[in-house]
Amino acid sequence: MDIWEKLNTIDRRWIYLLMFLSILFPTIFVMKFPIELTPEAEQLYNAVEELPDSSVVMLTFDYYASALAETEPMSIAALRHMWRKDMKIITLSNIPLGGPTIAERVTREIAKEFDKVYGVDFVNLGYKANYVAVMHGLASSIESIFPTDYTGTPLSELPLMEHVKSYDDMKFIYCVADNATVDYWISIVNAQYDIPVGSGVTAVMAPKMYSFLEAGQLTGLLGGMKGAAEYEKMVGALGTATIGMDAQSMAHLLIIFLVIVGNVGFFMNRRKAKDAKE
Amino acid sequence: MRTTIPIIVAFLAGTLLIVSFFFHPETIWIGDAKEVILQWMTIVGGFALVLGVVSIVRVNARAVQRKSEGWFYKLMTVISVFAMAIPAMMPVTKESVGGSIFYSIFPDSWMGYLGTGSNSFYDWLFNYVDAPMMETMFAMLAFYIASAAYRAFRARNAEATLLLFTATLVMLWRVPMGEAFLRLFSDNLPGYINTYVMGGFNVAVQRGIIIGAALGAASMSLRIILGIERTYMGK
Repeated sequence: MDIWEKLNTIDRRWIYLLMFLSILFPTIFVMKFPIELTPEAEQLYNAVEELPDSSVVMLTFDYYASALAETEPMSIAALRHMWRKDMKIITLSNIPLGGPTIAERVTREIAKEFDKVYGVDFVNLGYKANYVAVMHGLASSIESIFPTDYTGTPLSELPLMEHVKSYDDMKFIYCVADNATVDYWISIVNAQYDIPVGSGVTAVMAPKMYSFLEAGQLTGLLGGMKGAAEYEKMVGALGTATIGMDAQSMAHLLIIFLVIVGNVGFFMNRRKAKDAKE
Repeated sequence: MRTTIPIIVAFLAGTLLIVSFFFHPETIWIGDAKEVILQWMTIVGGFALVLGVVSIVRVNARAVQRKSEGWFYKLMTVISVFAMAIPAMMPVTKESVGGSIFYSIFPDSWMGYLGTGSNSFYDWLFNYVDAPMMETMFAMLAFYIASAAYRAFRARNAEATLLLFTATLVMLWRVPMGEAFLRLFSDNLPGYINTYVMGGFNVAVQRGIIIGAALGAASMSLRIILGIERTYMGK
């Protein structure tokens, strides 16, 4: 068995070990390659930046815990950006498992940095089933869909909600998602109720979002952990996405290396088989 | 009857929503029927969740009772369902429904642990048990992707080679180290990938898929409203 045949039958555990080391190495030895900004991430940052101070915005936590590494840094950076401009933030989730809990934890954690008060500066609406109905319903009355907030407090008892009754009272929707809900924020809320929607999504979802971005239906886009790292850079508060970029870089390079080696082995074996036939 | 009533409900709900989309509530006799239907939809959605929970408990409890293969994991599923649901549904304050009875039996210091707020038992279970498990499962994909890429991503023909080349470029472009490598060839290369691959070829294909799916969804909705499509009734 020559080297090319051996390469074709390599035990997959060696590949797993290589992947583990490629993630471990940059975690220990930080390399800090520069993070270049993409126009779509800058567009999202500028859209928020151009909103008047103290505007009311909606930040959605439409993601499961499985995508936290990519999406949570986006939410954190967005909260920091918005609260630096003293914005009033309404959070909700269209994901039953995790979304509202993540929103609760993340917003209260970042609120401490900016001395923001629950009910005055931010409100967590929580989750309600059937997101299409929720998105339509919020256009006419938030209170009809969410009579209480996430912890069961009636909205009428929260000072922020005295002035916020529907989308008409909001300036922007910042949707962080790991699933198709973002499509509906665009096709229902942006298209039918004319409120700008910006989005941060997982890397696998990002290609689809470019079509909405090019059409002007989406005001800015963050794609995956790289998008989150770009936003962290623009906000000026580096976080877990920036730290994770080295590990992701090494993992991507390893996969490219493996694809090249796999293909070289494939062609060498094919040529050998052809020679043997002749 | 079992067929006719669901068809009538689907027809009325669908037609009302379509009609109300094109008219202002004040100018049409159905008024704000759309809003009422949307509220019903969230309530029905809530009941669908309850049905799901009942179904998962029934199926797994039966398997545990019969001690069928993997019964222990099924038992863990049932325990997990209740472990998350019960503390989250318990009365949070004395003023809430059933609260006065609950707190006359149990100490007031339990208040913080019940419900779904910060520091509650539900919150703890989610943050320290559920979330790490979900993240671990997702993170393991990196290992499988690496192995699959090595074994299956072959330049067997022109289409596969084109896909391979494009994927490699995009993978390099999406990470800082890869971007720095691309800049060795030209400073504009990352920008070109963004403009022509993501904003060009990708958008063209994605739009085709999105429009096709939307047309499919519209025709399927019409079939349901008109009672032609009945698979949602299990037929």
